[in-house]
Amino acid sequence: MLRHLILVTRQRCSPERRSSKKRRSSKETTPYLRILHLVAICFVCGYCLPIKKGSATENTVGDHDQTVRSLAAIIDNQINASAETSGMTPLLDDRSFLRRVMLDLAGRIPSKTEQERYQALENPDKRFLITKELINSPDFAYHQRNELDTLLLRPLTNDSAWRDYLLEATQTNRSWDRIFREVLVPETSNSEDLRPVAFLKHRMRDLDKMANDASVIWFGVNIGCAKCHDHPLVDDWKQAHYYGIASFFKRTYQTKKGMLGERFDGKIRYDTTEGETHDGEFMYLTGAKAEEPVLNLEEEVLRKYDEQIKNAERQADAESPPVPDFRPRNELVEMALNDQEQKFFAKNIANRLWARFFGRGLTHPLDQIHSGNPPSHPEIMDEIANALVKHDYDLQILIHAITLSDAYARALPAIAKNAGESKLTQHDHLVHTFSHAMPRALTPHQLSLSLLIATKNPDKLQNQQVPEKWVKERQAFEKRSEKLAQELEIPGDNFQVPITEALWFSNSPQMQKDYLKDGQEQLVGYLKNLESDQKIIEMAIATILCRTPLPEENETLLHYLRGRPEKKLESIQHIVWALLCSPEFRFNH
Amino acid sequence: MNHSMRSESLDRRSMMRLMGSASGLGCAANLSQIDALGDQNLNDQLRISGKRVILLWLAGGASQLETWDPKPGRPTGGPFSQIQTTLPGIGISELLPKMSTHLNDTAIIRSLNTKIADHGTAYQLMDTGRVTEAGVAFPHMGAILARELGNIDSKVPDYVSMYTSTEGRRKGSAGFLGGRYNPMFLTDAMMPENIQRLDEVPDIDHRDRAELRDSLSRIFARHHSHPSFDGHNSAYGRVRGLMASDYLFDIDRESETSRAQYGPTQFGQQCLIARRLVEAGVPFVKVARGWWDSHGQNFETHQELCADLDHCMSTLLDDLKERGLLDDTLVISIGEFGRTPSINGSLGRDHFASAWSCTLSGCGIKGGSLHGKTDEDGQTVVEGEMDAGDLYATIFAALGIDHTKEYMVGSRPIPIADFDSTPCYSVLT
Repeated sequence: MLRHLILVTRQRCSPERRSSKKRRSSKETTPYLRILHLVAICFVCGYCLPIKKGSATENTVGDHDQTVRSLAAIIDNQINASAETSGMTPLLDDRSFLRRVMLDLAGRIPSKTEQERYQALENPDKRFLITKELINSPDFAYHQRNELDTLLLRPLTNDSAWRDYLLEATQTNRSWDRIFREVLVPETSNSEDLRPVAFLKHRMRDLDKMANDASVIWFGVNIGCAKCHDHPLVDDWKQAHYYGIASFFKRTYQTKKGMLGERFDGKIRYDTTEGETHDGEFMYLTGAKAEEPVLNLEEEVLRKYDEQIKNAERQADAESPPVPDFRPRNELVEMALNDQEQKFFAKNIANRLWARFFGRGLTHPLDQIHSGNPPSHPEIMDEIANALVKHDYDLQILIHAITLSDAYARALPAIAKNAGESKLTQHDHLVHTFSHAMPRALTPHQLSLSLLIATKNPDKLQNQQVPEKWVKERQAFEKRSEKLAQELEIPGDNFQVPITEALWFSNSPQMQKDYLKDGQEQLVGYLKNLESDQKIIEMAIATILCRTPLPEENETLLHYLRGRPEKKLESIQHIVWALLCSPEFRFNH
Repeated sequence: MNHSMRSESLDRRSMMRLMGSASGLGCAANLSQIDALGDQNLNDQLRISGKRVILLWLAGGASQLETWDPKPGRPTGGPFSQIQTTLPGIGISELLPKMSTHLNDTAIIRSLNTKIADHGTAYQLMDTGRVTEAGVAFPHMGAILARELGNIDSKVPDYVSMYTSTEGRRKGSAGFLGGRYNPMFLTDAMMPENIQRLDEVPDIDHRDRAELRDSLSRIFARHHSHPSFDGHNSAYGRVRGLMASDYLFDIDRESETSRAQYGPTQFGQQCLIARRLVEAGVPFVKVARGWWDSHGQNFETHQELCADLDHCMSTLLDDLKERGLLDDTLVISIGEFGRTPSINGSLGRDHFASAWSCTLSGCGIKGGSLHGKTDEDGQTVVEGEMDAGDLYATIFAALGIDHTKEYMVGSRPIPIADFDSTPCYSVLT
């Protein structure tokens, strides 16, 4: 019996668009709907059924799935070959896996209903089914939007036009190369209302930041150290690279109206450590250069254009200045996408996605892709980067393959047995082989949303199976989660929970009134009405930690409840609070 | 800047380059690796104990001509005169009469040339000691000093930042040092957010549920171990201790006399809180006092604000001294920049970073000293020029911290004071 139907519209850009180096009009860059596929998944029966049998669509879906499966197999073969089998941890059980994968793909913990459905599903292929379902769910688009927002614009802003643009992109599975083009050359974007100017706009006042951030975020290369001298530690990066990348951004200006443009001329001049003065060239990381055609403009005309640009920078009602034929940012986009050899653009996003799901990049740190810092698993890096290029930078394929792999589904390392060895050394040693999972702090959005899901009356959280209803509910959840998400720290390397967060959880009025409230819609109100203390404990642990209680926990909590019969409601609130403030809730593990 | 320092530093950099090419990502053994999770207890023995810092942050940029470097009688001098201080040969603006008799423990620096004169970037520069660099999140002064001077499991806050009486609330960040060193930030109230228990949660419940949390976490730790989980637990472990330090923010506990000494202004009250905090062992407190950005009516503005600064700063120094705290407490007064010597059409002074002043008092400082000199109109530094890095090196040196100490951020060494900075030894004991 079909419980629900998920309609997915896929937009991709045409392969021709990427491969050609010529500039095109905005009409030609219009994406077309290449695949329209309908996937109906029925977990009760436990199989995935493409409805339109025998059509080209079915083949494409089949190809797509096959690609995902073989990519996952490649990942596992490589990891298994490199890991010491003794250090390899077992695969997670169903509920732990579901929690992990839902945090990663839906941006939140699973509800009680979702846990029960997944557990009840008897299908050897259930990891494939759940990952596929999640990637096609409304949850995924929101989560992916939040992840991209953090990557591109961290620290988070309230720029709603930008966030709406990203949501439109993730809801239609816009390809990564197209997002790249739209964000770096927003003046030629198709979306009239949602031009993604924020990436450049927020870095407008600082050319160094614009250049280095662009290089770090899109290419995984930090060239900051090569500004004043050739990079002291990385042979690959010379001053010429720094000023090369910066040159592509040098001519960018912003109009009073909030649009972006590029001037007709302007070069960076810099001094080398040898005291020579050079003009920056339009040079990409590979050393490839964009040749600027000679500017055939009378001096007077050029002056007029400059004047027009100045006016547009100052006055909102000024006419739009003319656009030069040679547009450096566009050149950068073309060069990055045409880099067949070193593939910085593809490797960077492959590595960043890998790090998102494993807590560490194949190449680490993520902004250090260079010859002196090879990836821990070069074969995987090549395979996944190539797969992205081959499949038009469809990020969903790689995300699906990674989350389907056994490597992704492994448990945390067991407790150290050799007392002498420091914890950190052990973890560090194990981490490079990806033979086990490492805990990852929840992002602000994951934490904020999971708090809402965990503390809602679980009986009122059943609409995930009814997409029309869930789309609306999910949107409301997203909105409600944003305020707290803005206040939480974005975890980076070496994340430490700030004391302000522990104080917020301990003493804020919001904690008490939004999450620990006694009411019909709330978890506390639901637990209060359960028939036994035992049931309360089981339900609290199921909804918050997504598992069954351990015997010793059970005992501790029973003891707590029974020790204060006159304060049952408060005791339930304390238990809910203690579970929400546990490291187990705070991390994805 | 000292020439031998510079060449030594260049040598070190070329050494790094050689090391880098030889060993890829090698690092020398004496560098402090930033691994926020791993080293929580390792550096304790190196920590400088008992030293404190109060930063009086003059947000918006106070005028050096109406404070520490007056130019009476010059076209740039403005209407105010200079008063002789108790120190021979040193005069300051008449707007600081109390400070003119309180310079025995203070050094005046008149030769800052920090070049950057827009609020945002200059704030970054003066609060991190270096020019912002793309791709590196530099920690702010408070975070560095919280790390260098504080104790990891301190029961009191180690970085408190008060921004209630100012515009442009700039939070300050621990950058690559990690969230452990983020400030407790006061904006709307005189008490940090969420440091006090809600009335509806009785203390016994608050304690019981915290203990319940701890026991559940211990059970979890029996099955899962990772430094990240330890860090989470240690943040919660500090909650009750910090809550117990809420009384430090409550100036009603001070005697009538001492409250009266500091006076009724918010800046005064916060200086009093700052004194209470350092007395209890908080290593870094920043008190921001705003509205110095006097593009118009510079003189009226300074008449009002200098009176507040003069009174609060002199009271604070007296109070610290009386309590025997001044030897171990460094008091800094500075903003993001100074103000133009030339007076604009609105009788204001604009942003100016090429020749301006700051003061350092107390811990490690040679009292009554004066460093640097500007020309007769205050347009340029003519003697003893210092940039933000030099000032930071001086601050670190005053506190007994080696200013060449480096943090290893990934594969890159980052000195706590910027490359090529030199402490200003003439103001140090």
